[in-house]
Amino acid sequence: MAKGQEISIRPKGDVSVIDIKGDVTALTGQPVEDAYHHVTAAGAKKILLAFASDCYINSGGIAVLIGILSESRKKEQAVRMTGLSAHFQKIFAMVGLTKYAQIHLSEEAALADF
Amino acid sequence: MASEKKFELHLPSAPGVEKVAMDFAAAVAKTMNFPADRVEDLKSAVAEACLNAIEHGNKMDANMKVGISLTVDKGRLQVAVQDEGAGIGQVPTPNIDKQIEGKSDPRGWGIFLIKNLMDEVTFESTPKGNVVKMIIHLDK
Repeated sequence: MAKGQEISIRPKGDVSVIDIKGDVTALTGQPVEDAYHHVTAAGAKKILLAFASDCYINSGGIAVLIGILSESRKKEQAVRMTGLSAHFQKIFAMVGLTKYAQIHLSEEAALADF
Repeated sequence: MASEKKFELHLPSAPGVEKVAMDFAAAVAKTMNFPADRVEDLKSAVAEACLNAIEHGNKMDANMKVGISLTVDKGRLQVAVQDEGAGIGQVPTPNIDKQIEGKSDPRGWGIFLIKNLMDEVTFESTPKGNVVKMIIHLDK
């Protein structure tokens, strides 16, 4: 895992929360993908990507997230996102990621949306 | 023009150096009193231009440099990011729906982000390499 990156998983009711701290880029995306595959193997149908507010996400990281959303769609999993800074909320909307995983301003709101 | 100030930075084509360029551009933009959201736009655009220069222009060759030039002018900041590689040609606009369906590669968002985050953008291929020129205005 890259320096400064922390990826962890925790259950919240029937939702699998993946906490993401640090950079999400092509170089650092593997642990995020691994966490997604881990919860998927455990049968997760509801997944919340909880980003730290100071996450740095570039186009390579966006590709990693698109890959996860593509796979989750095939597996009929619901994915939501929270914790993103205003800048990355804007970028995710610009790219169209929000069509496939809604962004919520708080974890509580995201959990309530499943 | 006498009122212009120019700052330059030259970086090796190594993974992660785009963050140095981001911080460099942000520091200059903050001295011009750009609002925080526009500084974030600038940081992402500069990072993407550097990533393209490193990966596609210089092909990750650490001996090849990426040049970042910032020109401060009245009410605007001009940024030029230059590599030493051959032209990369036209890049198709990515389509998230096709990418989600698995019908196209999920990469390729860098130029899209640059065009959407900056106020003016041009791409040039010269005998010395590719140059991305970006302008961000204070009053937008």
